[in-house]
Amino acid sequence: MMNTSGPLLETLTHRLADTPAEFLAEPRIAGVANAQAVAVAALVNDIVLLHGARAPAASLQGFVGAQVKMDRNRLALAMILCWLLADEWFIAQRLPQHDLLQVLGEAARELAASTPAHQFTQDPERREELARIVLARLGFRPRDESVAQATDRLTAISGTERRRLLEASRLAEQRSREIREALAKKAAEESADKWSRE
Amino acid sequence: MTLAGKPDVNLPGGAWESDRDYCPTLTPAGARMLDKLRGHPCAPRYRNRSGNKLLAAEVEALRAYEQDVMDAAIGWSAAAPPSWLAEFLRTTYATVPHYRACGSPPARLADVAPISRAELAHDIAAFVPDDADLARMINFQTTGTTGHPLLIASHPLVAGRYLAFHKRALRRFGVTLRHGAGQVGVMLLGHQRRCFTYVSVTPTMNESGLAKINLHVDDWRHPEDRARYLDAMAPELIAGDPISFAELLTLSMTHKPAALLSVSMMLLPGMRARLEAAFGCPVLDIYSLNEVGPVAVYDERAGGHVLLQHRLYVEILDTDGRPVPDGVRGEITVTGGFNFCLPLVRYRTGDYAALAHGPDGPVLVGLAGRSPLRYRTINGEWINNIDITHALKPLAIALFGVHQHGDGAVALRLVPGAMPQADRARALLAPFFGAIAVETLLAEDKIIQYTSDLREAAA
Repeated sequence: MMNTSGPLLETLTHRLADTPAEFLAEPRIAGVANAQAVAVAALVNDIVLLHGARAPAASLQGFVGAQVKMDRNRLALAMILCWLLADEWFIAQRLPQHDLLQVLGEAARELAASTPAHQFTQDPERREELARIVLARLGFRPRDESVAQATDRLTAISGTERRRLLEASRLAEQRSREIREALAKKAAEESADKWSRE
Repeated sequence: MTLAGKPDVNLPGGAWESDRDYCPTLTPAGARMLDKLRGHPCAPRYRNRSGNKLLAAEVEALRAYEQDVMDAAIGWSAAAPPSWLAEFLRTTYATVPHYRACGSPPARLADVAPISRAELAHDIAAFVPDDADLARMINFQTTGTTGHPLLIASHPLVAGRYLAFHKRALRRFGVTLRHGAGQVGVMLLGHQRRCFTYVSVTPTMNESGLAKINLHVDDWRHPEDRARYLDAMAPELIAGDPISFAELLTLSMTHKPAALLSVSMMLLPGMRARLEAAFGCPVLDIYSLNEVGPVAVYDERAGGHVLLQHRLYVEILDTDGRPVPDGVRGEITVTGGFNFCLPLVRYRTGDYAALAHGPDGPVLVGLAGRSPLRYRTINGEWINNIDITHALKPLAIALFGVHQHGDGAVALRLVPGAMPQADRARALLAPFFGAIAVETLLAEDKIIQYTSDLREAAA
C-alpha cells in the first residue's frame, strides 16, 4: 500500500544518478582476493543505525558474500540501496529495522536476479523503477502522485520489465539447451582441423 | 568414387559421404591430395573422417587474421594491461550468461573471481556468448589430466586460427612454411592403441595436405610402412607429443621436416635434443590447451615460453587468487583468447610458471605442465596414459587417478560417488593390468591423474 506521500520521485532518481564511486565498488565476497572490496554487512549495519535502529547480527548474515555468481550482483545492488536509503528524507522517517532489511535484502535479491546492479544508477528507466519500488515497499508514493497514479506507474514500469525479463529468461534457457544439444550432437574430432592436437 | 574420380580407397565411414562436406572449398587439386594421402600403398588404415569445414569467406578471413597475428606486438605488463581488455570485459559481461549473472562489468580485472576447468565442465553453455552461431559451432572434447571431462565450444575459424600462432612460433626459429598445392603440409602423430585418424587439406596453404596418423603398429599393414609413408608424403611439419615422438625416433625414416611441433605434454630437454639430432631441425615445445589454444613457445634465448597470442592476457595467481609479482611462481591464469565461442576471464589453467618481461615480451619461466606417463602392462609392454583414459571412457566418472607402484601393481582411485562403478572399472583395465586395487579418492578438485613409481614411466 502506498498510502503515505513521500519525496519527489526526481529527488530519488537524481540521487541514484549521482551514486558515489564508493557505493559502486566491489562487494566483498569470500574467496575473491580484493583488499578494497566493501563489507556490505557493515554498510547495512551503518544504514540501520542511521535510522536509529539496530540490526541483530543474524539478520546481517545474508549480506556476507559467499559466492560470486549468487551474491555479487545482489550485494552490489544492496550497496546502491544503502546510498538511496541514506537520503535525508528517508533518514527523517526513522524507518523500522524490519522494513530496511526487507528492502536491502529481498527487494535487492529480486531486482538483481536479472539486471546488472549498476544499471539502476545508469539507465533512467531503471532508476525510476528502483525509486518507485523502494517507495512502494516502504509504504510511500511519490509526492504529487495519487495512490492510483503511483500504482499504475509502478505496475507499468515494473510490469513491462518483468515481461521482458521473463522472455529473456525463457530465451536464455532455450539457448542453453540448444548449445548443449549442438555440442553433444557433433562428434568432436570430425568437426574441424587444427594444426596440432592438445 | 572420390571427387578426384578415383575409386574409394581407404575411405572410412563418417558423418557425411562427400569430402566436400568436410572441406567445403575443396578443389580437384585438393581432392587429389586426399587421394594421395589415402591411396599410397604404405598408407595407414584411416579410421575416421574430418576436415577444415571452412567456407570461402572464412578462408579469406583466416588469411587476414594470420597477417594480424604475425604483425602484432605483445608488450603489456601488469602495470600497463592491454588496451583491448576493458572492452573485452564489458562485452563478456553483457553477452556471456555466466558473467551476466554476476552483474555489472567490474572496473578492474582483479575484481573478477577466477574460474577453473571445473566451472566449464559443470555447464559449458553458460560460457558461450549469446551471439555465437550454433549452426556453425563445433566442439573439442578433452579429458585432460585433471579428470574433469570437458567439451570445448569452438568454430571452424577458431580451429583454423591455430596455424597462425604456429607460424608465429616457427618464425622465432627461422622457419617459414612454404608448402602448398600437391604437397603435404603437416602430419599430426599419435601413438595410442586407439586414435582418431583422418586426412584433410588446409585451404590457406593452397590445399596442402594434412593427415592425423597413429604410429601404433595396429594401424599399419607392416610396421616398416610407417617410415615409408612418412618419407613418401614428406610433410613440411610434424606435430605430436613426446610419446609419439619417442616412437618416431625408432623409425628408419629419411625425410627431414622443416620443424617438429611438440604439444600437449611437457617436452623434456633430453627428448628435444634427441629429436633435434635425429631430424636436424628446430623442435618447438608449444604450450597449448584445448581451452585456450597455443599459448606460448619455448625459446631458450628468451629464458622460457614466449607468449604467442596478442589478445591473451596472462596473470600468475597464488592459491588465494591474488596476482603474484613477476618472477614468483603461481598458477597461469588467462583472460581473452581467440576462441570467440568461449571467451575466458581469469581462467586458471592448472599449470604453473613465473612471469617475466623482457625484449621478447611476456615470458613464462619454469613452466610445469602435464607430464607424459606410460604404464607397464602384465605382458611387460608399455602403454600410454591416454590408452587408460580411453579404456575408462565408458564410465561416467569425473575424477579418477591411476597409480602404478614400483612392483607394477596398479591402483585405481575413484571418488566415493564413483565406487559403484569399481567393478566395471576393474574389468576395463584388466586386459592391461590383470587384477587391480580400487581405492577411494578423497581429493576434491584437481588431482594428478596419472602417477607412477616406475623410473621408466616418464617417456
